This record gives sequence, structure tokens and C-alpha cells, in this order.
Amino acid sequence: MPAETCIMGLFKDEGKAAKAILELPAAGFRLRRAHSPVPSHRILEALKLKKSRVGWFTLAGGILGFFTGFALAIFTSVQWNLIASGKPIVSLIPFFIVGFEFTILFSVFGNVIGLLVCARLPDYRGLTAYDPRCSGEHFGLLAACEAGREGELMEFFQKKGGEAKVFA
Amino acid sequence: MPDLTYAQIDQTVLNTLQRPRPRYWVFVALLLGGVLLGAGAWIYQIFIGIGVGGQNIPVAWGTYLINFVFWVGIAHSGTLISAILHLFRAGWRNPIARAAETMTVFAVCCAGLFPFIHLGRVWQVYYMLPLPNQRLLWPNFLSPLMFDVVAISTYLTVSSLFWYTGLLPDLAVVRDRSSGVRHRIFRILSLGWTGAHHQWLNFGRGYLFFAALATPLVISVHSVVSWDFALGIVPGWHTTIFAPYFVAGAIHSGLAMVLTLMIPLRRIFRYEAIITLNVLENVAKTMILTGLIVGLAYGTEYFIAWYSHNAVEWESFRWRAMGEYAYGLYFMLICNVLLPSLFLFRAVRRSIPWLFALSLVVNFGMWWERFVIIVGGVAHDFAPHSWGLYAPRLVEYCIMVGSFSLFFFLFLLFCKHLPSVSMTEIKETANHAG
Repeated sequence: MPAETCIMGLFKDEGKAAKAILELPAAGFRLRRAHSPVPSHRILEALKLKKSRVGWFTLAGGILGFFTGFALAIFTSVQWNLIASGKPIVSLIPFFIVGFEFTILFSVFGNVIGLLVCARLPDYRGLTAYDPRCSGEHFGLLAACEAGREGELMEFFQKKGGEAKVFA
Repeated sequence: MPDLTYAQIDQTVLNTLQRPRPRYWVFVALLLGGVLLGAGAWIYQIFIGIGVGGQNIPVAWGTYLINFVFWVGIAHSGTLISAILHLFRAGWRNPIARAAETMTVFAVCCAGLFPFIHLGRVWQVYYMLPLPNQRLLWPNFLSPLMFDVVAISTYLTVSSLFWYTGLLPDLAVVRDRSSGVRHRIFRILSLGWTGAHHQWLNFGRGYLFFAALATPLVISVHSVVSWDFALGIVPGWHTTIFAPYFVAGAIHSGLAMVLTLMIPLRRIFRYEAIITLNVLENVAKTMILTGLIVGLAYGTEYFIAWYSHNAVEWESFRWRAMGEYAYGLYFMLICNVLLPSLFLFRAVRRSIPWLFALSLVVNFGMWWERFVIIVGGVAHDFAPHSWGLYAPRLVEYCIMVGSFSLFFFLFLLFCKHLPSVSMTEIKETANHAG
């Protein structure tokens, strides 16, 4: 596989960054990542990404939590076998509260796990090809090119109104 | 919001994280003193026994439970602002969302301490956990007190995770503009966040689900707290309106605390360009609504007591208005309903001294509302021979001072060490406005 160089184009304007994303493939370069200080719908649209899968983790957590909450309440009641206030040993209405709280709790656990898995966090290696200005007011496009085409890629970013930064 | 560039937003917030002045540490030390006073009083109570407090038959639930309900209530508006208003896309909540979320986490921590303090034999706290005790008996989830354990611990966990998730992009901003030890700490805390497209895509989705899950949770939590009372047969407690009544009251008191915290924060950290007067005015407008709901609930309670023709219920409510604790009822009516209605006047809503003064008044009134409900119910229930009065003792006062000190102590530490305004959300607001 030929050696690749990563070059980041830094843009102050979100629109110019989005336009550069759309034109990168035609120029023969591959976009690795797009960094932005805020969630940018224009950039996400330009990237034509698939929907996030975090929701599936949240849903799985919720289903697990619902049954866990009910199972815990029923299990502990059966251990007591004590009739309280004339209610049945397994009283579904009060146990619904436990089931509900566990549904929320486990949904959130699922959500956090989903977020970490899908966003690939924690990831400290990503900081090696990253410009700190991307958390401030710059939109950064990290693109890769074959050895020898660095000049072309830098020129591409500069033509689109950005500043080019080379990573070894 | 005036036109601010991304760099100006970052700089305004990052300026608040600079080395604090000695005056800051004086306040921190004073509050730490209050925390230690409360901790000392609790330790004394553990050694001597729960009887050192004023709680006794018939009023077994005194200031410990009042403060528990008060702090859970304070927590609620944080979730209202961060989750419910996020779902409604109310952009004005962005400047205060971070501080309100933080307030939620710290208020739940303070609330969570009180059941431990009230237990007396705190080392037996594990009875509340789903573990069998020495006789292989498990907690009974038919009890509303067990609903409470599940609800409050869920609320603390969810609000802490929600808060930390929302902080991630801002932690990266601090990491990228710091050096030395601070850089290393924030590098770890930010989990390597770089604002890459796949991170934002999943963050946006995850944050939305967080908000969607926190919304029913917050309503359920104070409903569950209200059922600690409503599921008992005590007159004044046994009523179906308690859940919405408590939720509205919780949000009312929480919004008041938001104003109490935001007004000094705005002044000290020069946040005037970010936390604008319009933001504070919108909080005041929301308080008009919550104040009216609370007022309706107070009226409905009396109407039901009269309309039911239940002699015990009616006597309980007559005594509330004319008995030994009548002043508590008048405090709550005046402070929670009458005075906040001054917010109907635009001049009051846009006056910082009025906003701050009325926020303190509502905090005071909401504390007394809990006193009236909790103490008033059991002090004067069914049989005249079981009536009795309650007054907190020194240990309870010290623990109360300790809880308030702990809340403000944690908040003060937060303000100087973490971004107290969400830079990312302010940039988003500026982006949409632009």
C-alpha cells in the first residue's frame, strides 16, 4: 500500500468547509475526518452519513431494564411472601414504578455505552492528527493523499478558502 | 444575545477558570466550615442517637425530611432547563443549562444524604439495597420508601451522566487552551474528544435520548417523593393531587434557585453578554406559570377538604390556617403565590434586584411549604390525644446549615474549575442566530 500523508484544511467558514467536503472526492482525495467546534448540520449533510446507531443500544438497555425491574420486585416479594395492605404478593401496579425506573436507568446505561462505542470514545490517538483550533472557531477537514500529491491537496484547501496543515 | 464570535465566547468562559482571588478561597473556607459543622453534628447524632434531634412521636419526620424534599425539588428545574426545554428547542435555556444541570447533581447529592442522616443507625443503610439481610429477608418493593430509593438513585445516576456527557465538548476546549497539569487532567476527562463528525453525529443522538429519558424521569421522581406521603392515610397527605402538586412546586423552587445562583454568577464572571436579561426574564415568566399551578394546588387542597365532608380532613386544614403553625401556611401562600405574581409586571421581571429578592423569597416559601405539609400532617392527625408539636433542635439546625453549605461549596468549586456555561451550546445559538 503506498504511503499516505494526512493534511488538514482549516476553515473559518462552515459553508466553505461543507463545499470542500463535497469537492474532495472529485479532486481525488479521501476525507478521513471532519472536525467542528459545534455540531454542524451542513457538514453532516455533505458527508452523507448513515443514521446513528446509538438508539439501538438505548432501546436494548430499556427493554433489559424493564424486565430487570419487574423481576427484582417480584423476586424480592416472593422471598417475603408477606401480604401488605391486603395487596397480592405480586402486585403489578406498584412494581410498575420499579420497572419504570429501571427502564430509564438501563436505557441511559445503554445510551452511554452506545455513545462510547459509536463515537469510538475514549480515543486519545485521534489527538495526534488534530488541530486545537478545531474546538475553537475552525472547521478542520483531515484528508489523505498519496506521497507526492501533498502540494495538490494543500493547494486544493487554499483554493477553497482554507489553511493547510500537514501531519507527518 | 449580542453578536459574539466563537473566540469571544470561549474567552469569556475560559476567563472564569483563571486563578481565583483570595476572596474566593475565603468563601470556600467559610462554606467548608459550614459543611464540617453539619458533619460534626451528624457524627454527634450517630454516637448519641437520633433522639438528639427534635423528631419524636407524633412528628417523626422533621427537618431531615423537609430538607430532603426541598433539595429534591431544587434539583428538578435543572432537568427542566437542560432536558425538557432542550426537547422544546427553547434556545434561551442554553446560557443557563450547564449551571442548572450542575445544580441538579449537587442538589440530589444533598437530598440523598438526608435519608442516611434520618436513619439514625446509618450502618444499616444496606437494608434499603436489594440484598438479603441476616434473616434472608429482602426489601419490600410495595413500600413507597423503596420506590424512593430506586427513583432517587436513578435520578442521581442519570443526571450525573447527562451532565458529564454534555460537558465533553467543553472539556476538550479547556484541554486545547491549557498547559501543564490542567492540560493533562482535561485530556483525560475529555476522553479524547476532537469534535470529529462521527462524534458529533452520535453525541447529538445520544444527547437527545438523554433529554427524552430525563423528562419522564424527573416527573416520576417527585411524584414518587409525593407518594411517600400520599400513600399514607394521614389527613392532609392522602390526596391524589400530590404528584402534580409536588412536581410543580419542585420546578417553582428550582427556578428560584436558578435565579439565586445565576444572578451573582452573571455579575462576578461578567457573563452579561451571554446570560442576558432576556434569559432571566424568561425564567421569571416560567415562574409565573409554576406559581399559579402551585396556587391552584393550594386552593384545590382546601376545596377537596371542604367538599369531601370528611371531618378529620377539614379539621387538619382548619388547623393549618389557624393552629400553631399557621405562620408557615401564610409564609407559603405569600412567598410562593402572591409575591411571585409581581413577575407579571415587566419592570419587576427586568430588574436584577427584584429578580434576586423574589428568588430568595420563593426559596424561603418553598421550604415552609414542605414544613407545613410534612410536620402539619402528623402533628394534628386523627386522634386528639396523639396531637403534638415539633421544633428542630441545635443538631438539626447544624445539619441544615451543613447541607446548604455543602450545596454552595460544591457549586463554588465547580464555577472555578469547570466551564459554568456551555460554550458549545452558546456557539450553536450564535450560529443559528447568524
